[in-house]
Amino acid sequence: MSGEMANEIKLISGRSHPELSDKIAKRLGVEVARTVSLNYSNQETSFTVGESVRDEDVFIMQSTATGDVNEGLMELLIMISACRTASARRITAVIPNFPYARQDKKDKSRAPISARLVANMLQTAGANHIVTVDLHASQVSGFFSVPVDNLYAEPSFLRYIRENFVADECVIVSPDAGGAKRATSIADHLNTAFALIHKERPRPNVVGRMVLVGNVEDKVAILVVPDDMADTCGTLVKAAAVLKENGAKSVLALVTHGILSGNAIETLNGSVLTALVVTNTVPLGDKVDRCPKLKVIDISPTIAEAIRRTHNGESVSYLFTHAPA
Amino acid sequence: MVRNIVILGGNSHPTLVESICSSLGLPACNRILGKFSSGESRCEIQDSVRGKDVYIIQTGFGGNGAKLNDHFMDLCIMISACKTGSARRVTAVLPLFPYSRQPDLPYNKAGAPLFNKPPSESGRKDYTFDSVPATPAPGVPRSTGLTNGAEITNRLMKASVANGSGPPSPMINGKPNGENYFPNGVTGVNGNRIPGGLATSTSQGHFTTHDYENVSIVGAFQARPGYKQWVAQAGTLVANLLTCAGADHVITMDLHDPQVQGFFDVPVDNLYGRPLLKRYIMQNIPNYKDAVIISPDAGGAKRATAIADSMGIDFALIHKERRPTKITERQNASMMLVGNVADRVCILLDDIADTGNTITRAAKLLKKEGATKIYALLTHGVFSGDALSRINASALDKVVVTNSVPQAAHKAQLGNKLEVLDIAPIFAEAIRRVHHGESISVLFNFD
Repeated sequence: MSGEMANEIKLISGRSHPELSDKIAKRLGVEVARTVSLNYSNQETSFTVGESVRDEDVFIMQSTATGDVNEGLMELLIMISACRTASARRITAVIPNFPYARQDKKDKSRAPISARLVANMLQTAGANHIVTVDLHASQVSGFFSVPVDNLYAEPSFLRYIRENFVADECVIVSPDAGGAKRATSIADHLNTAFALIHKERPRPNVVGRMVLVGNVEDKVAILVVPDDMADTCGTLVKAAAVLKENGAKSVLALVTHGILSGNAIETLNGSVLTALVVTNTVPLGDKVDRCPKLKVIDISPTIAEAIRRTHNGESVSYLFTHAPA
Repeated sequence: MVRNIVILGGNSHPTLVESICSSLGLPACNRILGKFSSGESRCEIQDSVRGKDVYIIQTGFGGNGAKLNDHFMDLCIMISACKTGSARRVTAVLPLFPYSRQPDLPYNKAGAPLFNKPPSESGRKDYTFDSVPATPAPGVPRSTGLTNGAEITNRLMKASVANGSGPPSPMINGKPNGENYFPNGVTGVNGNRIPGGLATSTSQGHFTTHDYENVSIVGAFQARPGYKQWVAQAGTLVANLLTCAGADHVITMDLHDPQVQGFFDVPVDNLYGRPLLKRYIMQNIPNYKDAVIISPDAGGAKRATAIADSMGIDFALIHKERRPTKITERQNASMMLVGNVADRVCILLDDIADTGNTITRAAKLLKKEGATKIYALLTHGVFSGDALSRINASALDKVVVTNSVPQAAHKAQLGNKLEVLDIAPIFAEAIRRVHHGESISVLFNFD
């Protein structure tokens, strides 16, 4: 058995985010497995496997491309199920941006809890383990009966701030009360000041004005977006305006998943926001070119390290506080 | 008027939902079904479903700007939403079952011919593999058989264009105008970096319509040496996903593989389009007793003989030769007709037409063998890719399909050549009977 050992890391990539897969593969020193996915002319997804996964430790990387969530999800399910039928030893779905994570509760009558459905579907397809980054609500991991490793982008953000700013000149701002916990966590790590934007709601369903609690004058205000997602960026831009009015020198926003759908790019370009820092959990495509304010942090070292540790049976919790260089 | 029943329609086939509802005499359930800007499906069910018997109608068809996988996810989300909304029972009604045709790899003893072989490629020929994933169909030759298949198609197209009887051929360098069908089709090949780059393909018509968007990608894909690549089969997965979402019962029609029924742990009612097609033959084909029923491939022979026997009509079969043969004039098809069709009306019978490859080629062969008039009767007319122009240019005189998938767009293009049979009454009756716990087996054999 020279070179052909079973139970190696087998990294399979979906179509949604090949760049990230390549980075992870490079970091792990493996090749992305030879597979090809495409759609038949009747739009059914087809997945062809070109190498053995028998008794291997399979990691399937699939993010969600904006606008094409269902295609990516279906492809992922087919890939998982294919590896299951091909006798993989263990199948780990690596989903940097968990789809439908925001539909996690029955907030109205007969509203679907789609996050739970996705969790069930992944398990039905045959996933033994899930690796994801910054779940919208960590409770979503409770929808699974298989282990879920929820990685954090926070260490990567902390490094970014430390490398680019002086802590004393920064104020960490939470754009709403719900995100205060996350924001204070970053503020504590950096040992900086903290501020909060409070949304006054005079009546239900009427968004009142935003009030800043704390001082940002002549500081670099760093907005920590609690949703972990910049979707249409509406709230974000409003919060940035409030901070600027209150004398902030510049306004930075940290967001894990840069979904940036709809007119997000135009909104950002027209805003007072100095920069939006996102990770590459979601494929950004040409958005980086279209929006000079967009700064991208590479999350692949964290994911790759999580894969390596999972494969070797080492603890992953180190990654919750440290970003591998 | 049926009580305690809720009909919930997906976005894939609103007209069918409407006519099933009017057959049952009740309005469709109010719902919001769309997409968030992020691309996630959004579903809100606005009428109460508590304690109700819910039927969710969604066909496995992506077209007219929507995607098949979106429809499927919508269906799962709707099922799940009804379940969490305390519905008593949720039945998924899928007139065309998605992913029901299991792709298989074409097997060829001679080994796979390698198309667009990159000059720098040094791998062994028998390892480089062929599977151009075509939409699976019984015996549609995919890459292996392509040399023959594409040849015929090309000739067919050329012939008809020369006659001026059809629209201009959409084939351009073997790459039909796929953009129309796949405005944002994405494909990707992994782990396959051939020095010298991908074949910038100007292949000479060696691809069927299934492959047009993937020419370079599929041409460049190679399995690891020594490993025979295979295509994942999604049928079981789809069945499991529906059950996992919470479907208690499934109603569908003319499953391509009846075995799919066995993939489910819940009851599956597989309705038949056969009685409809039979009635069409009896009412609309003059002297149908003298016609010949043809199965366009061996896989469908059972289906076709069943109708032929019950009506007392002759039967013939088209057999696809898979052996590699020299291409000569006589063999322009590696297809053989078993049976006699000279000077007779032919009725091609199949369960599904996707790219129309099988039926158009069969029609050409039948015409050559002296058929006077050719009908094609199909349960599901998906007509993806360039099927419509292909059929327009073909020797088919009439194509008869059911509205298991939306046919309005197809009708607009094919005009009088296309006849659409309504399946809404069958589904409405099946729903009514299932709801009242009556037997639906009578639906299988009413003539």
